Amino acid sequence: MTVTAEKLVKVFPGVRALDEATLRLEPGSVHALLGENGAGKSTLIKIMTGVLRPDGGRIVLADGGDAHFGGPHDAQRAGIGVVHQERNLIPAFSVAENIALSAVPQRFGFVERKTTRAIAKRCLDQLQVELDVDRPVSSLSVAQMQLVEIAKALAVDSQVLLLDEPTASLTSDEAQRLFTVMRALRDQGHAIVLVSHKLDEVFAIADTVTVLRDGRSVAEAQPLADFGHDEIVDLMVGRAHAVLELARTPVDRDAVPALELDNVSTADGHRDVSLTVRPGEIVGLYGLVGAGRSELARAVLGLDTITAGAVKIRGERARIRDVGEALRRYRMGYVTENRKEEGVFLEQPISRNIAVTVWRRLARFGLVRSRDENALVSTYQERLGMRLSGPAQLAGQLSGGNQQKVSLAKWLAADCDILVIDEPTVGIDVRTKAAFHELIVGLATDGLAILLISSDLPEMVTLADRVLVMRDHQLVGEIDNAHDYERTSQAVGRLLHMTGR
Amino acid sequence: MTSTRPTIESGPTDRVRPAISLRSTEFTLAVLAVVAYIVLALTTHGSVLHADTLTAIFQFLAVPVVIGLAQMVVLGVGQMNLSVGVVTGFCAMVTAWLMVDVGLPAWLALVAGMATGAMIGLANGLIVVLTRINGFIVTLATMTVIDGLRYGVHGTATYQGYSPGLTKLGQGAILGVPTVFLVAVLVAIAVAVFFRRMAAGRRLLASGGNPLAARLSGVSNDRSLVLAHLLSGLLAGVAGVIVVALSGSVNATIGDDLLLPSFAAPIIGGVALAGGVVSVVGTCLAALIVRLVDVAQAQYSINPDWVDLIVGAVVLGAVLITQLRGRAAK
Repeated sequence: MTVTAEKLVKVFPGVRALDEATLRLEPGSVHALLGENGAGKSTLIKIMTGVLRPDGGRIVLADGGDAHFGGPHDAQRAGIGVVHQERNLIPAFSVAENIALSAVPQRFGFVERKTTRAIAKRCLDQLQVELDVDRPVSSLSVAQMQLVEIAKALAVDSQVLLLDEPTASLTSDEAQRLFTVMRALRDQGHAIVLVSHKLDEVFAIADTVTVLRDGRSVAEAQPLADFGHDEIVDLMVGRAHAVLELARTPVDRDAVPALELDNVSTADGHRDVSLTVRPGEIVGLYGLVGAGRSELARAVLGLDTITAGAVKIRGERARIRDVGEALRRYRMGYVTENRKEEGVFLEQPISRNIAVTVWRRLARFGLVRSRDENALVSTYQERLGMRLSGPAQLAGQLSGGNQQKVSLAKWLAADCDILVIDEPTVGIDVRTKAAFHELIVGLATDGLAILLISSDLPEMVTLADRVLVMRDHQLVGEIDNAHDYERTSQAVGRLLHMTGR
Repeated sequence: MTSTRPTIESGPTDRVRPAISLRSTEFTLAVLAVVAYIVLALTTHGSVLHADTLTAIFQFLAVPVVIGLAQMVVLGVGQMNLSVGVVTGFCAMVTAWLMVDVGLPAWLALVAGMATGAMIGLANGLIVVLTRINGFIVTLATMTVIDGLRYGVHGTATYQGYSPGLTKLGQGAILGVPTVFLVAVLVAIAVAVFFRRMAAGRRLLASGGNPLAARLSGVSNDRSLVLAHLLSGLLAGVAGVIVVALSGSVNATIGDDLLLPSFAAPIIGGVALAGGVVSVVGTCLAALIVRLVDVAQAQYSINPDWVDLIVGAVVLGAVLITQLRGRAAK
């Protein structure tokens, strides 16, 4: 089935996620959809599968008509199936029931078990997979669940099959078997879309490629054979990004590192991670979503278990059990990625949001006076340029950028000199973003050691002194950042999409 | 690479699956119930073996079983129904009122009593879906409302002397098995068939097990929620008419002591609080065990206050064990 998504536009507050992106799909081919973090791949998939509605453009189906998907069910009926990155199965149900869930065969309200099994067997046969259809899904391996999800998509007669990072949690052996399945489906005439960050995989199986960058399709349904690895990486990262020039004071490279990880391994799966952050230095930690960057930060702060290696603070070995200890003993703070859920108390006044880290210090005989809290607010209002109506304003009433500043202010109030800052400018408009960048650089100039986690490559290039690249919970390289977008982004891109492991 | 058939082997245990696995909660509960009964028989010099005692044990097991199922249905979609106890009492009062004050024939009053429960359940479900307020809060509110309505029917007075035929049937037995217990068993079988075989029951469990996946597969989670609350109300209504048939007299205090048992049975029975998994057999066996605690209290003349303490402790223990099992499975 030929399906074309033409010039799709999708606007979220503060960001144009899709800017006239086009995706042309032909039956009997495997089409790779590539792009960096935030390029718009997920948004495009969500529109194609009816989860989101586009603000512009159209989806043209095989018969030449426009598709208007009111929800996921409409997309399914039009023959577009998807296997999402998150598992979408009912754990307590059998394989057969999960596969047939979208259209359970029934008579007089009773499930027709025979027909259910037959449907499941037919779909699994189509994939050439042998699996007991009566087994509960909860007893299956991740790879088996993946195959069940594909079978489920086939059960609703999907002519177009979108696979979002299907090999992310598979071993290479299992991935090979999945590719065999994909080839078989392609030969049966299905159009398959593969979203993957592993370029070697893409080159092994895909026929055509669409590359997204900043919401635009910079390569549209071109034969993959026309490209080399490096050309694809260059297309993904692009060239023309103006980097904001910010005056930096040089870092004293001989100073004792404020934060040092020495061959740290964690329960979450990090292996032998070593890095140093010196006073006055901004060290960037870049990687794809799911590479384990935030998880590393959480482990360092005692929110997850470190299984091997050492964390040193100012040259001395530290054992951090929780955030409170990190703060009080080591003066290390964590500005979280999820400000609405983890960073600020939306229903509380700004004064309490900022003072929460220092209540212990402010308290006299166990009581905290609001005068002391308000004094803190005025200090940081000026220093961070927060726009507030007053210290009693609720944090939930602030704009995203100002909320993020409140989240930052509470760590500064606690006198931190090591800050882990996680995705500081997600969902913040361009002007506030630039102000935030100046602010972070200003903090480094004041001598703070900053570990910056960001999925925004231009932001990395603007801010970081050095960029560390993390892949699959390991550091795979380090780049000295000369604030030159082209050079740094290409070096980062090569590290991220390196062939072989 | 041409014909590599991706075979994914199944474990050897998959082919022959025993009806009840030896490690299942149901099996553990069955063993526990038998052991408890034997201990009771030995320590009371066989008093629990008498026909009268046996009849009493099973007669007064009917309501706990049905009320446990009423809670289980809602737990299946990942919600709770705090109003089951008072709805049972209210339906009992309505049934008695229809017979005594309105003069309806007994069978019609029973149907109306059960329908009352279903209507209240439907209201609960619709409020949950339309307001998006959690079922816990909604049923907390309706519990309070119905608690008041219960007294509105006949004040604090007692209805008695209604339909002698109904009472005779309710206190009677068929082939030595108390009729009310038979009714409870039939209800349990119907609920089991609903969840195992009927499409609506499967959809309900799908919504409880993974609402997002259910939605993406075209299952209406809202419909599942309404249906679960409706069934829960209906089952509470059934429990209400069982009380009417069994006791021969009803007043507005009925249902006051049913909320804890309604949670105890499914939770001890291995029903997941998060939704998506139900166990009719487990719920029934757990209700039996709680009943045996009651019997033990009567036999040993223990202070009745201890019963609640024991049942509460068992519930806590059951939740803890489930959690530990979950962790061990990971």
